[in-house]
Amino acid sequence: MEARCSGIERNSEDGGSKALAPDEISHLALDIGGTLIKLVYFSRNDSWSVDDKGAKSPKGDSPLRVSCSNLDYPILYGRIHFAKFETIKVNECLEFIRSKKLLHGGCWHHEAPVSDKNVIKATGGGAYKFADLFKENLGLNLDKEDEMDCLVSGANFLLKAVHHEAFTYMDGQKEFVQIDHNDLYPYLLVNIGSGVSMLKVDGDGKFERVSGTNVGGGTFWGLGRLLTKCKSFDELLELSHQGNNRVIDMLVGDIYGGMDYSKFGLASTTIASSFGKAISENKELEDYRPEDVARSLLRMISNNIGQISYLNALRFGLKRIFFGGFFIRGHAYTMDTISVAVNFWSKGEAKAMFLRHEGFLGALGAFMSYEKNNYDGLMVHQLVEQVSTSASYSGDKIHSSLAGDLNDSESIGCSVYTT
Amino acid sequence: MELTSIALNFRIQVTARSLIKLVYFSRHEDRSIDDKRKRSIKERLGVTNGNRRSYPILGGRLHFVKFETSKINECLDFINSKQLHRGGMDSRLWLSEAPPSDDVIIKATGGGAHKFADLFKERLGVSIDKEDEMDCLVAGANFYLSLMLSVHLGSLEVEEDAIRHEAFTHMEGHKEFVQIDHNDLFPYLLVNIGSGVSMIKVDGDGKFQRVSGTNVGGGTYWGLGRLLTKCKSFDDLLELSQRGDNRTIDMLVGDIYGGMDYSKIGLSASTIASSFGKTISENKELEDYRPEDISLSLLRMISYNIGQISYLNALRFGLKRIFFGGFFIRGHAYTMDTISFAVQFWSNGDAQAMFLRHEGFLGALGAFMSYEKHGLDDLMVHQLVERFPMGAPYIGGRIHGPPLGDLNEKAIFHASKFTLFINKLGSGFGFLTDQPKTISGAVF
Repeated sequence: MEARCSGIERNSEDGGSKALAPDEISHLALDIGGTLIKLVYFSRNDSWSVDDKGAKSPKGDSPLRVSCSNLDYPILYGRIHFAKFETIKVNECLEFIRSKKLLHGGCWHHEAPVSDKNVIKATGGGAYKFADLFKENLGLNLDKEDEMDCLVSGANFLLKAVHHEAFTYMDGQKEFVQIDHNDLYPYLLVNIGSGVSMLKVDGDGKFERVSGTNVGGGTFWGLGRLLTKCKSFDELLELSHQGNNRVIDMLVGDIYGGMDYSKFGLASTTIASSFGKAISENKELEDYRPEDVARSLLRMISNNIGQISYLNALRFGLKRIFFGGFFIRGHAYTMDTISVAVNFWSKGEAKAMFLRHEGFLGALGAFMSYEKNNYDGLMVHQLVEQVSTSASYSGDKIHSSLAGDLNDSESIGCSVYTT
Repeated sequence: MELTSIALNFRIQVTARSLIKLVYFSRHEDRSIDDKRKRSIKERLGVTNGNRRSYPILGGRLHFVKFETSKINECLDFINSKQLHRGGMDSRLWLSEAPPSDDVIIKATGGGAHKFADLFKERLGVSIDKEDEMDCLVAGANFYLSLMLSVHLGSLEVEEDAIRHEAFTHMEGHKEFVQIDHNDLFPYLLVNIGSGVSMIKVDGDGKFQRVSGTNVGGGTYWGLGRLLTKCKSFDDLLELSQRGDNRTIDMLVGDIYGGMDYSKIGLSASTIASSFGKTISENKELEDYRPEDISLSLLRMISYNIGQISYLNALRFGLKRIFFGGFFIRGHAYTMDTISFAVQFWSNGDAQAMFLRHEGFLGALGAFMSYEKHGLDDLMVHQLVERFPMGAPYIGGRIHGPPLGDLNEKAIFHASKFTLFINKLGSGFGFLTDQPKTISGAVF
């Protein structure tokens, strides 16, 4: 059965194909979470030409073809684009979709009635919550995919297809991890969004949500906002850079007169009680530096997530923990705290690993789900790393931004073929 | 009943995080009624001393008092006013082996034992003998749990049957005492929630291991709560939470899923997805939120977290029972319900949270017990029998007992009283209550 996607046609009979118009967009997928809306889409881009070995590929239709059953398909080159918006500003997202003409970016089954056109894959709770809004505003029908399914398929996809996706962060050193496809499973996936989900992944599509916690990114931002009046998550992270948590946190040394509680392996600098010093009657919130507050908060939440993660890894004998979601954003202190918690408490048995495209797992999973259901499958042939000109998720600095105009600067070059 | 001014010794648990807990024993004046009572107890129980020397049965009381650490001076005043540090054994009443009371040593545990050692020396001239905090916590817990296991003995006047109630579950507002078989007590997980949290796997008397903990504890609740609500005290903060509604502050599963459950993974719409997740809205500032709601969200966040990490550790070591102690709980029904809910939720009903009536004094009593091992005096605690009427308010914030004179009463939060009979060597003691109408006692 042939399915037809707007813009991408397959025509194996005559050996040629009607090419996508350059930069034509398809396969828009959304992950609408509690705090952020994540968006991915594919655009055909003739000018893209570099693969990870540096070899150039010809422009236009590629002579390369891929075989599947008795048919072969042309490989199309283009990019997967990423964007995100705050859920409370969903209208900005709608506007973005409209302005980028992503409206017709869905794929639709040619046998479906006209009214079913413009079906977009969407995951996350917002796929339910905002279904009507998308319909009314853009005439888009949201085809709902399960959030956990998408997280896992997005993670598996990234780990297998993208060259430098996962990395460890220890002692200030970032190191990319070589993933052996045969040795990927099982692993623990910890997605830190507004809240946290922890999934034990055993294979493609094989997983179980084993745990989670309600102390997540939303908690950091929410408490941070109340305590410091920061306007954004990034601002809060920025503040924490200059903070000193010893002002606010009660350390073991504070309790034991400067000493360690060495009998139980607690160094004097170990935090005994987060915010434990803030009980002082002489000081009010205004008397504390917001930098210190932000730092203590970040430490508290990162450490807690690290702890619950390693306890679950231990529980199931999992050696690798991949952290996704937009909480981390390549922030050194966050990664360090989580890594230390995992490594130390598991006695080196488990390792914390971070993902460059951390926040887009769900959206990518939704993107991948076009393959099934007889939609015009966009099989992703090869994802090639493309150095992007601006935003980057690696390194110490925070580069992400929720401003609409900076969206869309992240993209991954890839080649696809359609079936 | 009047207290005598003779105090045997006292033990303190100075957590120095926020609270000082003090346990002391005061001996009753000899009165004929006491002698008669003692005699009749002996008769009823047929206690004989065989070839051993005859030891007096000492009647007295074990007192439990707490102070905020910032009010250390009031604590010192209290000790001074009651001359607790001058006590020692009255040689008239004890055997001549009573040690001289020159060099008074006080047993103390907790971080403050280190921190306040000098202060105690200066103000009261006493040396602090520091006992390890974990040792004391565990000894105290085992002691209280063993209370339940003691043999019923006869009573003089009894209003109701002896019920030894230390451990209980607390779910959905309903409290239920738990009987535990002595052979089945170990191992268990003891979670002490003070400023921070320690999780201790207890395998037997004196046999334990601190397996975990978390820095998100009572100090976090109080600290964050103070910053966010300007509450003056922990109790005020708890009080506020009783009138709170967390839905204005927490992001629930239903908020994300348009009012629905996420039933595929077993999360109902009212499950909290993200604590404080709703406050990211630009339109509202801290002042726009009710402190009651904030306090409740904080309490739930911290209680759930502790419940979860406790369960994960119990699971890790195959422990079926988790006892929660420490002053964070202070008999607050909602806190206990929340912790219980969390343990039940995360364990799918496999594990159960239990609480101890004397949660805040585990360490202090453990320090008290530690006299035994050092041979500092011959107080041996073997077995206890305790009786008191149901509903005796041994937990909670009210002040009981006679006024304490000049002391600022605000400094004294809580005193609960037991009456203690002590047999000096080798046997045990029993408890009496000071509640009217219920008296019982046992010695052996």
